Amino acid sequence: MSFFNPVFAFAFIPFVVIIYNLFPKKLRAGVLLAISLLFFAFVSKWLIIYLLLSIISVYVTGISISKLEEKKKEALKTVEKEEKKSVKASYKRKEKFVLVLCIIFNVTFLFFFKYLNFFAVNANLLMDYFKIGHRITIVKHVAPIGISFYTLEALSYVLDIYYGKIEADKNILRVALYLAFFPQVLEGPIARYSDTAKSLYEGNKVTFESFNYGYQRILYGFAKKLIIADRLNIIVKSVFEDFNSYNGFTVFIGVAAYMIMLYMEFSGTIDIVIGIGEMFGVKVPENFRQPFFAKNVSDFWTRWHISLGLWFKDYIFYPVSLSKSMKNLTGKAKKKLGNHYGPLVSGSVALLAVWLLNGLWHGAGWHYIFFGLYHFFMILMGNIFDPSVAKVCEKLHIDRHKKGYRIFQSVKMTFWVFIGELFFRAPSLTVAFAMLRRMFDTFSFRVGELFTLGMDRKDYVVLMIGLVGIFIMGIVHEKGINVREEISKKKLVTRWAILYAFILVILIFGAYGQGYVPVDPIYADF
Amino acid sequence: MEELIEILEELQPDVDYETVDDLVDGRYLDSLTILSLISEIEDAFDVEIPTVEIIPANFNSAAKMWELITRLQEED
Amino acid sequence: MKKAIKGIIFALIFCIMVEAISVALLPWEKVKKYGLYNTSAYEIVAEKDDSVDVIFLGDSLVYSSISPMEIWDGYGYTCYDCAQPAQIMPYAYDYLKVAIDSQHPKIVFIEANILFRDPQKLPLYKKIAYRIVNYIPIFKYHSNWKKYFTHDKNSWLNVNKGYIYITGIKASKKDPFNYMDVNDEVEVSILPENKECFDDMVSMCEENNIKLVLLAVPSQKSWSRSKYNMVKELANEKDIEFIDFNLDNDLEIDWATETKDKGNHLNYWGAKKVSDFLGEYMESTGLLEDHKNDPYYKSWHTAYSIYKEKLK
Repeated sequence: MSFFNPVFAFAFIPFVVIIYNLFPKKLRAGVLLAISLLFFAFVSKWLIIYLLLSIISVYVTGISISKLEEKKKEALKTVEKEEKKSVKASYKRKEKFVLVLCIIFNVTFLFFFKYLNFFAVNANLLMDYFKIGHRITIVKHVAPIGISFYTLEALSYVLDIYYGKIEADKNILRVALYLAFFPQVLEGPIARYSDTAKSLYEGNKVTFESFNYGYQRILYGFAKKLIIADRLNIIVKSVFEDFNSYNGFTVFIGVAAYMIMLYMEFSGTIDIVIGIGEMFGVKVPENFRQPFFAKNVSDFWTRWHISLGLWFKDYIFYPVSLSKSMKNLTGKAKKKLGNHYGPLVSGSVALLAVWLLNGLWHGAGWHYIFFGLYHFFMILMGNIFDPSVAKVCEKLHIDRHKKGYRIFQSVKMTFWVFIGELFFRAPSLTVAFAMLRRMFDTFSFRVGELFTLGMDRKDYVVLMIGLVGIFIMGIVHEKGINVREEISKKKLVTRWAILYAFILVILIFGAYGQGYVPVDPIYADF
Repeated sequence: MEELIEILEELQPDVDYETVDDLVDGRYLDSLTILSLISEIEDAFDVEIPTVEIIPANFNSAAKMWELITRLQEED
Repeated sequence: MKKAIKGIIFALIFCIMVEAISVALLPWEKVKKYGLYNTSAYEIVAEKDDSVDVIFLGDSLVYSSISPMEIWDGYGYTCYDCAQPAQIMPYAYDYLKVAIDSQHPKIVFIEANILFRDPQKLPLYKKIAYRIVNYIPIFKYHSNWKKYFTHDKNSWLNVNKGYIYITGIKASKKDPFNYMDVNDEVEVSILPENKECFDDMVSMCEENNIKLVLLAVPSQKSWSRSKYNMVKELANEKDIEFIDFNLDNDLEIDWATETKDKGNHLNYWGAKKVSDFLGEYMESTGLLEDHKNDPYYKSWHTAYSIYKEKLK
C-alpha cells in the first residue's frame, strides 16, 4: 500500500472528506475512526486485532494509573507526615508495575513480528557452532502495517501518563483515533497524544480553504516522490543489484542516489500525512527539517525523522542517563575527567542504548545494528572532538559561523550520513564493505557509465532540475518562509497559474508508467 | 542567575544567553550538552531535576532555566 | 456557493489543459482522424494506413509472448499486438473494429484465454483504471514529452508494435509436463456472452475476408487441459484453426530461464521461440508476402534497427 497511488490521492481522499463532512460535528470523530480502522483492515486484514489489543491495553493502563493516583491522593490526606514518603513510594511501585506490564505486553507483539526470526536464526547459528543438535523452526509472519510506529505512540501515551505529563483519557475512541489515524499509521510521524488526539477528536469541518491548503502540501509530496525518487530508483536498483560491474564513481552515485531517494520518498510520504492532517484541522508534527543543511551528524538526527529521534530522547536517553546509578557515575567521572567529559560517560552509555534500539527499530539485521552503532560512534566522536576543533579554528582564525564554514560542515556531515545509508541499504554487512571497497578501488570519472543504468539524458535533466527546485525550497524553508502562505497572498490568476503548472509538471514529468518502477514505501516495512 | 550563565557559557560559549530564547528548539544545545548542563545545575544549586521536567519549554532560555531552578528549590 | 463555482471553474480549466496536453503528446494527425480517445486507447491507429498484415488480440499473454519485430526480421511480415492487460472479449471486439478501420489484415489471431474471462468479473478498479487511462491519455503517454526534445525523425515511431520487452527471469518450480492437468482443478467455462461476442468477431472476419486463428501461448498458469478441450471444440465447430503451445506443439520452453514470473508469462527468450514458430506458420498459409523490399514499409526497417539496438 502506497499513498502515491492515483486512486488514493484523487479518489480516496476526496471520498473520505465528503463522507466526513456529511456527518454532524459530533459524529465525525467516529467516522474518522471507522475509516481509519477500515483502511487498516484493508491493508492488514485480520491483523487489525493487534492494533485493537494495543489500543485497549494502553487505554486500560492509562485509566488504572490515574485511578492509583487518585487513591494515592486520598491516602495522603489521612496519613501522618512521616508516612507520606512510604505511601508515595508504594503507590509509585504499583503504578510502575502496571506500566511495565503494559510495556511488556506491547513490546512482545513487536518482538514477535519483527525480531523473533532474527533471534531464531542467530540462535541456530550459535547452536550449530557449539554443535548442539537442536534447531528452532523459522516461521515467517506478516506484520500488521505500521506496528513499529503505532507501538511507539502507544508506549509514549502510557509513559506520559506515568510521568504526569498528560491525564489519562477516559474516552477510548479518542485513544483509538490517536493511534489509528489512517494516514499516520503507515509511516508515522510518531506523534504524541498531546499533539494530535484532541484536534483529531474535535471533528472540525473540512473547509474549502483547509482542503486547498492541505492538498498543496500533498502535491509537494507527490512531486518529490514521482519526479525524483522514482527516477533515482532506476539508478539505485541497477547499482545495488550488481555493483561489481560498475566503476567506483557509478557506485558512489548509486549510493548517493539512494540517500536522496530515501529522503524524497520518506519526507514525501510525510508531506502527504501532514497535508491530510491539515485538511482535518490536525497539526501532525513535522518529521523533517532540511536534514542535509545540518552541521554535524547529531544535528542531522534532529532534522531527519524528528519524531523518532525525539521519542528515543524522551523515553530512552534522559531516563537512562538521569537514572540514579548513572548520576552516581557522572559524579565520579566528573571528578576525574572534568566538566565537559565527565557527563559524557553516562551520556554515551545512554546514547549507546538509543542507537542500538534505533538500529533495531529499523529492522532485525546486523547491518541495521551496525547502522545504529555507526551513528553512535559518529555522534560521540563529534562531541569528544568539538572543543579541540573549536580551539583549532580559533588559532587558525576561522569563524565557525561564516557561510563557507557552514557549507563545509554540511558537506562533511552529508558524507558521514552517506556511509551510514550505504550500510542501511546494503543487504548485508559483507556487501556494504565490498561496495565501499569497490567505490575507492575503482574510482574514475567515467560519467558515460551513468547512461547505461536505464536513464537517458532527458531523465537526468529532469532529475537535476527537480533536485535544484527542492534545494531552493529547502533554503526558503530554512529561512522560515511559508511558501503556501506566500502563494495565498497572490492574485487569483497567479495562484491558479502556479497550481496548474505544478500539477501538470507532476503529471508529465513524473516517473510513472511504462519504463519506470516506483519505489515501494521504504519506511512502512520498519 | 549569573552563576547559571557562567555554567552555560562554559558549556557552549557561542551564544548570547541574555537574549536567545530558543536554546533547545534552535538547536544551540544538543542532548549531550543538556546532560552536562543538568549535572552542573544539580551540583551548583543543590536541586534534583526529574526527567519529566526536561522539556524544551524549561530549557529554551536562561530565564526559563532559572525559573525551573527556583521552583524546584521551593518544592524541596 | 461562490467557492463552489470557483472550484468548478478551476476544474474545468484544468480539464481543458489536460486535454490540450494530451493532444500534444499523441501523434496529432491521428488524433484529428480518430479522435483523442481512440488514438490513445488503440495504439495501432498510429500505424500507416493499410500496412499491417497480422493482428494479435488478447491479454498480457500476447504482449509478453509475441514480438512482431522478430517475425519482420525473419519473414518480412508486419504484425501488431493489439493486446491490453486483462483484456476481455468486448474490449477485444472493440479493438478489432477500430483496427480494421484503417488496416486490412489478412490474418487475425485471438489468444483464447480471454474466452474464459468473465467480463462482469473484471474488478471495478480495473474497469475504472481502463477508462481513466483511455479518457485521460496523459497517464499513459506522459513520457512522450521526450519526443519534443530530440532531433531523431523516428521518435514517434512505435518500435515494438505492441510487444513489451522483458528480460527478467523468475524460474518456474512447476512440473513442465503435467501442469495442464494440475491446473484442471479450477473449473472453467466459456460464458454465453463471450461466445456471442466471439461469433460476432467470426462474422466480422468473414465479411472482411480475414483468416481467423485461435491461439494458446505457453503458460503454466493460465492454461489447463479443460480450457484446451473447450477451445478445441469451439474451433472444430466454427471450422477454424487452433494453434496450441501447451499440448500440441512443443517449443521446448526452458521454464527455468524463459519465464519472467514463475511460468505465467514468457520473457524475451520465450517470446522469441513463439514468434519464430508463428512466422513459420504464417509462411505456410501462403497468404502473406515479404515486404522487406517495399519502400512503403521503410519505417519497419528503422524500427527493427532500434529494436535490435535495445536487445543488446
